[in-house]
Amino acid sequence: MGSDIPLSWFLLFAAATFAIGIIGVITRKNPIAVLMAIEIMLSAANVNLVAFWRYGPERLDSGPIAGIVLAIMVITVAAAEVAVGIGLVILCYRRWQAADVDRYDSMAG
Amino acid sequence: MARILFLVIAGVGLTSALSTVLSRNLVRAAVSLAGFFFTVACLFILLEAEFLAALQVLIYVGAVSILLMFGIMLTRGVQGTDLVSGPSAARLPGIVVGLVVFAVLGYAIFEEKGLRTQYSWGALDERTAIARGSKEPGSPLRSAVNNMGKVVGVELMTRYVIAFELAGLLLTAALVGAVAVAHREEDETRSTGSGVPPEKPEPTADKPNP
Repeated sequence: MGSDIPLSWFLLFAAATFAIGIIGVITRKNPIAVLMAIEIMLSAANVNLVAFWRYGPERLDSGPIAGIVLAIMVITVAAAEVAVGIGLVILCYRRWQAADVDRYDSMAG
Repeated sequence: MARILFLVIAGVGLTSALSTVLSRNLVRAAVSLAGFFFTVACLFILLEAEFLAALQVLIYVGAVSILLMFGIMLTRGVQGTDLVSGPSAARLPGIVVGLVVFAVLGYAIFEEKGLRTQYSWGALDERTAIARGSKEPGSPLRSAVNNMGKVVGVELMTRYVIAFELAGLLLTAALVGAVAVAHREEDETRSTGSGVPPEKPEPTADKPNP
């Protein structure tokens, strides 16, 4: 019985935060709150990637830091997604004068 | 010791994530989200990925949270009441879906059997030690963990160079696109509406701020 942290603890934390993010995406009405919940889900995926990188077997054909680079790419995509998402939310707010995803019912104009 | 530290950090992280999702005040939700990102950075440190932890703090806590805060401020209503966002009608299905997803993931974590040639990672309690006093000298993972910044730079420029360039292209396109999307309507209304007929009577009259 070592004192190291088991891998499954990290996985359970990531699963729990992913479930919390899904709950937020479905139940929130404000589009910015939905964006925040999506960010929570992406962070949960990042925790999984880094945990598997650290605990998994070393594979020489995929480089020493495959999980780290994948997590960096996820962070990049998340940053781009937030920028575009905020732009779209501001556009929708100008169009409907409301911050409520239930009222965004048309993609035209 | 490390287990107690992990439990404390995970507890703080789950609490702040729940408060992000459940709190009615959006500014409070954004602050809780920054706290959640910080606990994720702490988990990266526990996983010995300090470079990624610094990246997480810089990008998520420093930039994404502030951007979301700006979004909240820019889309608050004229009366200022849109800051409080109640739950929608999909509350019960959302909670059911979240619990089912968590149950499925937990089942997969604990019931995974592993491939025939590999060990099962569901019961993986130890990681390979990378301490400086360990026996074998030249493990690539160990040298990568010990000088992570250099290895990340070299790998991004050699093995993952296509992904790196694509990420740069994606960032450029996303930033230009975000600015174009958020500014288009304002330019159209400013150019006296000769091309497009305005759909709303006066969209800029009752806006609090540009």
